[in-house]
Amino acid sequence: MNNFKIALMAMVSLTFFSCDNEDDNDSSLSGTGEISVTFDNGYDGNDLILDVANVANENGEALTVSRFSYIVSNFSLIDTDGNEYVYPKDDSYFIINQEEDLEDVTLADIPAGEYTTLKFGIGVDDEKYQEGGEVQEEFWELAEANNLTWSWTAGYKYINYEGTFTSETITEETNYKIHLGRLGDQVNYEEVILELPTNVTVSDEMDSNIHLEIDASKILTAVTSLLLSEDAILMTNAEKAPLVAENASEMFVVDHVHNGSGH
Amino acid sequence: MMKDLKNFNKKVILIVLLLSSFLNAKANDTSNLYKSCCEKHSNIFDFDEEFCDTCGCGSSGGSMGYGTGLNNNFIGVRYIRQQYRSRDGIFNDSPWIQENFNTIQAWGNFPVSDRILINTIVPFQFHNRVLPDNTEENISGLGDMSVLVFYNVLKIKPDSIVSIKVEHYLQIGGGIKLPTGAYDQENNEGSINPSFQLGNGSLDYILGLNYGFSYRNWGVSTMLNYAIKTENKDNYHFGDQFNYGVNAYKTYYLSNTVAVTPIVGLAGEFYGENKEFNSPVANTKGDIFLGKLSLETSYNNYSLGLVSMLPISQNLNSNKVELKNRTSIYLNINF
Repeated sequence: MNNFKIALMAMVSLTFFSCDNEDDNDSSLSGTGEISVTFDNGYDGNDLILDVANVANENGEALTVSRFSYIVSNFSLIDTDGNEYVYPKDDSYFIINQEEDLEDVTLADIPAGEYTTLKFGIGVDDEKYQEGGEVQEEFWELAEANNLTWSWTAGYKYINYEGTFTSETITEETNYKIHLGRLGDQVNYEEVILELPTNVTVSDEMDSNIHLEIDASKILTAVTSLLLSEDAILMTNAEKAPLVAENASEMFVVDHVHNGSGH
Repeated sequence: MMKDLKNFNKKVILIVLLLSSFLNAKANDTSNLYKSCCEKHSNIFDFDEEFCDTCGCGSSGGSMGYGTGLNNNFIGVRYIRQQYRSRDGIFNDSPWIQENFNTIQAWGNFPVSDRILINTIVPFQFHNRVLPDNTEENISGLGDMSVLVFYNVLKIKPDSIVSIKVEHYLQIGGGIKLPTGAYDQENNEGSINPSFQLGNGSLDYILGLNYGFSYRNWGVSTMLNYAIKTENKDNYHFGDQFNYGVNAYKTYYLSNTVAVTPIVGLAGEFYGENKEFNSPVANTKGDIFLGKLSLETSYNNYSLGLVSMLPISQNLNSNKVELKNRTSIYLNINF
């Protein structure tokens, strides 16, 4: 029995020894890290699946979405001290496209720290637009390839949201097209500010992910109800375009933050 | 005979303990290696460890208990199968991933003295999950071993004295769960079950209490245990876990050598929120309440047990994870 007790004590002490030296994570964050933002497109709580009918929205209209793409831009992060880190503007334009499975925005070289808030815009701001075509040729071509442009003078489509719908009065599947962009001097660019449920942390050793849930149904319902049965084509309607922009700015919710492992 | 058995006990315990300290040291040294080879792991020990910490405290027994629910000493082998499903995605209609957690464990309750007994579990895990696109992922390997020491607060009457009075037992104890099962951060990405691991990667402390009483061939046993979990090397910290269970049983003696004991029970588990780099991880808290039905058949000092547990209610990981069932078979030698 004595042998046994000695063995037991030896083993217990060994365990403590071997496990004690693992606390090397002094919480001073240094260097830079990567933050990815996932735009997970959904529709009223469900996954958004193109060409599959969704349940009727609050306006009593049932949409089958065939195309959903948009431009997100001008990312910035606010840290726990209230300082804002603005991601370099020239690199801060991205395309999300459900048809092509483009859903991730990667922000590289973010200064180490803990951030409480994510900010970005939907579409292309006036300043960028005024730079002219030559400066932004590369992004213009990318946008063009994703059906997010009109002619250069008319500019970018910030959102391209198309499909068919039915309503109480319109029982045949009817096409709808919502293309949001600037209309002359009306910029229609909207800023989104999302407070994170958990701070996102980055450093040399940690890349992290912010996972957003997007509710496409909000484009017609969030702030102002827009009836497709009244206007199924919303492109150059200067009265409703700002309402679409405002609604769309409400479609982003943070589902969760994943610290330390990318996604 | 008794003496042989005691020597045998001692040897087994020594081997288990030495092995566990060796493997513990080894696991610490090679965790990078595990990571780089993308080995998938998880570790569920006992029945209960599923998701919040499928792995972690699993080895400690969860609501399945460290023992059989009967108050006895034994060494044996137990197989546990747990079927879960978890959402692959963040949406209400996201598809399910089917998960099967299998554990084979060497387990035992070894008396060290009249008052002290040691409980150890050494698990081997082999898990698989089927993703919505029908691809399968498999992980297997050693799980997290646990060693607990229990003290009999009440004096135990020798078995040979058949009492017609109510006999009580009360055991309090504690122990450790070693990070011998591999924990792979890669398995823990996205919104899927963070517990698809062989181990939780951390040294955990377990507190346990067993109380029961028997009257003639009737008995009731209860158990409580609490696992205090620590942060692992990948800065992931599974939430603490509290388990309880109540069993009632009656033994029928079919002959001098054969007895059958049906057991009915209720059990529950509570899981605290996981943390990563000290930040809470969304959708990792949970609780589950289970019903249990089992049958132990003994022949001389061999016993064969069949256990099934079904959830009565559950709220795991914001309902993104669901237990479907647990079943277990064990073959023990009692002493």
